[in-house]
Amino acid sequence: MTAGVHDDGVSGWALLRRVLRDQRTGLLVGVGVGLLWSAGKVAVPKLTSLAVDHAVLGSGSLLFWTSSIAAMAVIAGVFLAWRRWFAFRESRLTEAVMRERLFHHVMHLHVAYHDRTQTGQLMSRASSDLMLIQAFVVMIPMTASNLLMVAAVVVVLVAQQPMLALVALAPLPFLNVMATRFSRRIHPAVVAVQAEQAQLATVVEEAVSGVRVLKGFGAESVTAARLRTEADDIRTVSLQAARVRSAFLPALDLLPNLGLIAVLAMGGHRVLNGSMTRGQMLEFMQYIGLLVFPLRSLGQTVAFGQRAAAALLRVNEVLSTEALVADPIVARHLPTGDRTGEVRFRHVRFGYDPAQHVLDDFDLHIEAGSSVAIVGVTGGGKSTVARVLVRFYDVDDGAITIDGIDVRDLPLRELRHAVSVVFEDTFLFHDSVAANIAFARQDASTTDIEAAARLAGAHDFVLALPQGYGTLLGERGYSLSGGQRQRVALARAILSNPRVLVLDDATSAVDPSKEHEIREAMATVMQGRTTIVIAHRPGTIALADTVVLLDGGRVAATGTHDELLATSQRYREVLAALSEPDEADDEADDESAGVH
Amino acid sequence: MWAGAAVTDEDRLDREETSRVLRRSLQFAAPYRRTIWWAIALVSIGAVCTVGGPVFVKLGLDQGINAQSAGTLNLAVVGYIATVVIGYVVGRMQYVAINRAGEGFLRDLRVTVFDRLQAQSMAFFDRNKTGVLVSRMTADVESMGELIQWGLLQFIAAGLLLVMTLILMTAMSWELTLVVVVFVAPILGVASVRFQRQSNLAYLDVRERVGQNLSNLQESFTGVRVIQAYAREEEQERRFHESNRALYRSHLHSVKVSTWYFGVVEWSGIVSIAIVVGVGGWLVHRGSVAFGTVAAFVLLLANLFDPVQQLSQLYNTVQSAAAALHKLYGLIDTVPDVAEHPKAVELPARGVLAAHHITFTYDGTERPALHDLSITVQPGERLALVGPTGAGKSTLAKLLSRLYDPTTGHITFDDIDLRLASLSSLRERVVVVPQEGFLFGGTIRDNIRIARSGATDTEVEAALNAIGVLERFAEFPDGLDTEVRERGSRLSAGERQLVSLARAALIDPAVLVLDEATSNLDPGTEAIVEKALERLMGGRTVIVVAHRLSTVRRADRIVVIDHARMVEAGTHEQLVALGGRYASLAEAWAKSQPAAEGAAGST
Repeated sequence: MTAGVHDDGVSGWALLRRVLRDQRTGLLVGVGVGLLWSAGKVAVPKLTSLAVDHAVLGSGSLLFWTSSIAAMAVIAGVFLAWRRWFAFRESRLTEAVMRERLFHHVMHLHVAYHDRTQTGQLMSRASSDLMLIQAFVVMIPMTASNLLMVAAVVVVLVAQQPMLALVALAPLPFLNVMATRFSRRIHPAVVAVQAEQAQLATVVEEAVSGVRVLKGFGAESVTAARLRTEADDIRTVSLQAARVRSAFLPALDLLPNLGLIAVLAMGGHRVLNGSMTRGQMLEFMQYIGLLVFPLRSLGQTVAFGQRAAAALLRVNEVLSTEALVADPIVARHLPTGDRTGEVRFRHVRFGYDPAQHVLDDFDLHIEAGSSVAIVGVTGGGKSTVARVLVRFYDVDDGAITIDGIDVRDLPLRELRHAVSVVFEDTFLFHDSVAANIAFARQDASTTDIEAAARLAGAHDFVLALPQGYGTLLGERGYSLSGGQRQRVALARAILSNPRVLVLDDATSAVDPSKEHEIREAMATVMQGRTTIVIAHRPGTIALADTVVLLDGGRVAATGTHDELLATSQRYREVLAALSEPDEADDEADDESAGVH
Repeated sequence: MWAGAAVTDEDRLDREETSRVLRRSLQFAAPYRRTIWWAIALVSIGAVCTVGGPVFVKLGLDQGINAQSAGTLNLAVVGYIATVVIGYVVGRMQYVAINRAGEGFLRDLRVTVFDRLQAQSMAFFDRNKTGVLVSRMTADVESMGELIQWGLLQFIAAGLLLVMTLILMTAMSWELTLVVVVFVAPILGVASVRFQRQSNLAYLDVRERVGQNLSNLQESFTGVRVIQAYAREEEQERRFHESNRALYRSHLHSVKVSTWYFGVVEWSGIVSIAIVVGVGGWLVHRGSVAFGTVAAFVLLLANLFDPVQQLSQLYNTVQSAAAALHKLYGLIDTVPDVAEHPKAVELPARGVLAAHHITFTYDGTERPALHDLSITVQPGERLALVGPTGAGKSTLAKLLSRLYDPTTGHITFDDIDLRLASLSSLRERVVVVPQEGFLFGGTIRDNIRIARSGATDTEVEAALNAIGVLERFAEFPDGLDTEVRERGSRLSAGERQLVSLARAALIDPAVLVLDEATSNLDPGTEAIVEKALERLMGGRTVIVVAHRLSTVRRADRIVVIDHARMVEAGTHEQLVALGGRYASLAEAWAKSQPAAEGAAGST
């Protein structure tokens, strides 16, 4: 139906077809009732014309004709409502189903994909693009009935008065053309207005967020001048959009009137010379009025179809991205037993950019139940070790095994239950504190949750929150300080009771005086559990049985903290470089923290 | 499809508020009064043209065809053509006129609201969340813009058209008009009011669920790494499915409550044709109306039903725009609480900065953040404020720079109360360097010039040179003209702090108030920032909210603040010897920052 975009939109349309196949019945019913509506609607002018000629100007029964028009009113009213109902129900369903597919797919896409894709992009796939598709699907039943109506009217009119029909209908195709063109021209204009509005929003947002700077320097006039520029720009583009409207909308009103004038002029003379009845003349006029909306809407369908095609293409691009890290075809499982959690990195090579190796021949054996601290310079690949272990990324060469099983042979679920990573930048969900801690084990009892929180040094401050463990966190909830967030994240990992625990700078934002308390708790958690600690505070490093110096992508030295201090010059250098900037207090922004 | 607006009950304005909003809007629109009158005139002419068409049809039928007069018929055709042409021209002019007035109004509104917003005190910005303030300037103004772009013209035109059509129909045949109105108006009226109410509620629900669903999506997309790390994909999907289906049901509900209305409108439109034909036919038989009247009625009916439908759909848009305006006028009417004194004086170049028995309580809190505090800072003195988080040290810094006014007591510079000083001279004497270098969109140069918009390029460079970092910024691809990109993502945290220091250097103030950064910098950058800071502080009075032992030790005097009070003051050695609050604090610091201290000692 939209030849222009068909070529590059094939896969997009195929996607829509697959989704719509499941909604066949609803759509067919929608089209069916739409056709019945058209029939009822088309009958009205005909009946009016017959009533005029036979009853108003003749001697037929007024009541009969009036009743038949009224009957059509019921048919048209009922079926119009149904058409609308089915059209919207199906289109909203399409939207919902596609959004769920998208969500499912995105949740399973590998981390590398998420690294290079902005959340905002995915959001607009799942919201505005699906809206465009919905707006098109809703047109399907409408378009079918509109097409039928146009065809029926043309047939009825041409059958009666071919010449008059031709002249009167001549301006109407332009309605379709102009509606299409209008829709196409107004869309970029509206987008331009939105873009300008977004720019203005940026100025406002900066002025409000940066208010301390502006007030401090009394620089309000600078932003005020910027705002004026943006406000002027909005006005300019809005007026351009208004000009597009002024060029099309009055013309769209004009066209049907041209048809009516033709009927009055040409038809009037025909009535005068007796080749046409007055009823027929009124019928012609009514039919022209009837065609206005369907023709305009057909024009819209074309434009909406084009927009939907572009949206489908973008949605399909996400859906057709293959998840590079996926469950194995033939899965193996972790052995059970007393001493589990042996981790082995065998000559691992990995780089985010294949040309640049972050880990290069990284070889490390961690005995079941023992703990290792990995020390290295910032950007040296310490966190990468954790990421490849849980298969956020697959290694380029070499292998990683847990209890003798290659991590790539394990179902992802099993692997990630076995290994818990606490990252430096903690992400908490908009949910209660309790639910955030029980993130990986939803069936956990309150006692378990509190025990985990105690171990992580979170229990006391959680109790002091407005609703204790029931306090909502996250973007729209209570905002915790960086150190508090890390302690909740730590509790989350502790509760999941993994074979292997990885603490990736997990206490970097915790107040040093508090970290001391947590350290003891951590020692308890690490007891008999394989633990990889990535840290740079000597106190935390000392928690581990052995320390590994990661340098140049490989293990450069191994030993206890004291041994390395004594033997390795590089170790001392790295440690000095790491501890220098680390003077982080609790991130709380003094007394104003509570207000923001 | 018009479903874009909804109003909550609390947004619904009462009559008094509505008339106030209207009055204020008229004031605001004053510069566009002529354009508005012109637009109203055009819309009226347009409405006349729209109803004119059927009149000429009636003329042609009755005086032309019925009277067998080809001449009159032709006259009617010409008349019709004339109305259509005028209608078209007027139609085009309408859009331009109404948008010119509307967009001008919006532009003035944006500028006025923003200026007023910026004039507010820091306390105001503490009270109001960023998101809310931004949405005043965006969502609220745009809901008005939406109305202007799509709805205002239609709203006025629909109202006019409805009235004119009724007048015309009554003039042609009051009997027929009466019958149509009596039959159709009650049904349509009741249906429209119910539709308006139900669809508003349904749409509010949809809007809320769209918001929930989106934030659900956003959260899962942002947190995808944690979700995958804990193998929580299925649970997240289950939750998303729930909110997504709730949204779907909410959509269905909103379709359900609106669908029957469209059916009723369709039905009553055709039924009224039946009535016109039936009753009109009977009247024609009785000879009391001409056939042309019946025909004109059939054609005019559309002018009756379309406006009713439009008005009921636009009603919510108009209401929500009024609610938005109400909020905006509320903001415009907020008087700033830190403002310039009408007889403000200029501050001298140097002077003693002193706080006299100041107490300060943040809005909405009961316990004072500072309590009866007095302090005197000599010109050129370096003062460090230390104390536990939340003790009041940052508050003191904010009061000394008059970001807030003390609740009781006063602050003086060279014996002049800060409240009597002109804001411009105050900002030149006392400069606050915030913790983090906040960057605005634009180039590095623009960002430094924030401090003094009139500064020349040379002055900006001199400021950078004064703190010894000109080369570092000159090395950027476009030098000082490098765009900093979104929130300065192109600059490192350290570079952002340097920009912040350069701003202060550009002002060359007598007093520098520093809130020491707590964020981590890499050691190399840290050293550069330290050096730049040291150069900036040279010869000035400095008040620093300190978090580091090294900073504290470089101060001439240390003030310990705890529980809103000044508890100790003196040099490092004095206070350590005192063995009080500071001594234990210094000990804790020394323990947790051993490396840092070592490094500080070695540089």
